[in-house]
Amino acid sequence: MEALRHYARLWFASARYSLVRTMMFRADFIMWSLVEIFWMVVNLMLIAVIYSHTESIAGWGPWEMTIIVGTSMLVQRLLMGFFWTNLFEMSRNVRSGHFDFFMAQPGWPLFMVSTRKIDLEGVINVPLAIAVIVFAAHKLGLQPSWLQIGCFSLFILCGLAIHYATLLFFVSLVFWMQSAHGIEHGYFGLNEFSRLPREALKGIASVVFVYTLPVIIVTNVPARTLIHGPELGPALWLFGAAVFWLAVAVTVFQRGIRRYSSASS
Amino acid sequence: MLAFLAKYRSVFTVGLQSNLVYRWNFAVRGTFSLIHLSFVFILWGAAYAGQTDIGGFDLRQTLTYFIVMLVLQYFISAMNEDYEISEEIRNGLINQFLLKPVNYYLYRFTIFLSARFVSGLLALVPVALALPLLADKITLPGPGWNYVIAVPALLMSALIQFTIAYCFGLLTFWFLEIQSFIILSLAVETILGGQVFPLDLFPNWLYQLSSWLPYYYQMYFPAALLTGRITDLGYALRGLGIQLFWVLALLTVAQLLWSRGLRRHTAVGG
Repeated sequence: MEALRHYARLWFASARYSLVRTMMFRADFIMWSLVEIFWMVVNLMLIAVIYSHTESIAGWGPWEMTIIVGTSMLVQRLLMGFFWTNLFEMSRNVRSGHFDFFMAQPGWPLFMVSTRKIDLEGVINVPLAIAVIVFAAHKLGLQPSWLQIGCFSLFILCGLAIHYATLLFFVSLVFWMQSAHGIEHGYFGLNEFSRLPREALKGIASVVFVYTLPVIIVTNVPARTLIHGPELGPALWLFGAAVFWLAVAVTVFQRGIRRYSSASS
Repeated sequence: MLAFLAKYRSVFTVGLQSNLVYRWNFAVRGTFSLIHLSFVFILWGAAYAGQTDIGGFDLRQTLTYFIVMLVLQYFISAMNEDYEISEEIRNGLINQFLLKPVNYYLYRFTIFLSARFVSGLLALVPVALALPLLADKITLPGPGWNYVIAVPALLMSALIQFTIAYCFGLLTFWFLEIQSFIILSLAVETILGGQVFPLDLFPNWLYQLSSWLPYYYQMYFPAALLTGRITDLGYALRGLGIQLFWVLALLTVAQLLWSRGLRRHTAVGG
């Protein structure tokens, strides 16, 4: 319990520092918030244009599809807001030797690395992503129960854990490869699939993106929960995937730390 | 004239050498693009289920459009030229160009050409490897005027792409951090350049409006010519005219930014 309080204090200290830093560069904050909004609009426009020419994609109507896209945006905004910069800086810090700084801090290095900064421009767009989901649910005439909303929130956290773990896994390879260059292209490329309904994937694509990599279930399970109600099988699958990927990523990170030798002179 | 060309030929050669150092980066990026292409195939395949055409084009025509778009991206798109120019201004590396008989715009454009030559050829490798899977998805129009017009359209597209990136790079004279401007502009370019969906799927009024903007001529226009999405010769020639206007307008803006920016620039150090 004391340890939890300790980590909570550390997290709040980082959050306060991030807030102060953001307020020092207000124009930058506004520009980056606009950037995030524009990219969300890009995703929504794709859906709008396709559905102006067709009625369904793999059995999903326009507003159901908007819930999937909104869910994908929500998970991504949370990742961007809380972890993205931290994990990318880790790759640079390992190369430069600045990772020493995190090793010497009063806490688990993974926690210290992952929570150093909060990007408020990502966090500030979380309500916007939620608004997209709520609007689409309203258009579908959905009135989700508290159980559905609770499960949806829990599944979003599982999705965030999966995204975080995947990113951590790839970035931790820097302990062996000395460069994580280009990983962002891989991440964004894979993340595109999270905006697809599971039924659209057939054959080898289904094996890769549904069963091997958990990119589809991250959005499809929460979206289906909101539309049709919670289902035990998919819920366990998502939860299991989150635990599995977190365990893999943390193991790789811990192994990497053992290999780490400072680059300073 | 020959001495003038020789100068930039040397720049091109140096550009080739320095870009070949990053050959693996381009190859990896090209491979990741195939992941994006798989997403496009799955999404549009599902959208076409139960219908033969969308916006007057069948599935193969639409998939061909995205394949051509992907290949063109590596031959004519500006990638990180804006960041490189920004870095050169911030680090004072442009000072040397102020003292030498080298035009900075032409120098950077020559480097851009060499970079796209390398990235274009390297990106063809993963596409060529995937060709057995892609072959039955590709359908190109037969020989015709569209290929002839596509040549100047491609050259001007490259000029527009580079000049926009160049202008963003020059903003460093006024702003310390230009990354957010670039990413914001990228989002607009991605939509209005036709990279997310063919622009002809827009409602007609929006499509006509977009055809007056420079983004239309960055990627969509040459890709539409090559894939038979523009079939009217008059419309294609009108497009070439508007594209030429944007090239000239952007070159003027670039020159203006350069001359104004230099007034703010302070060269320090020996």
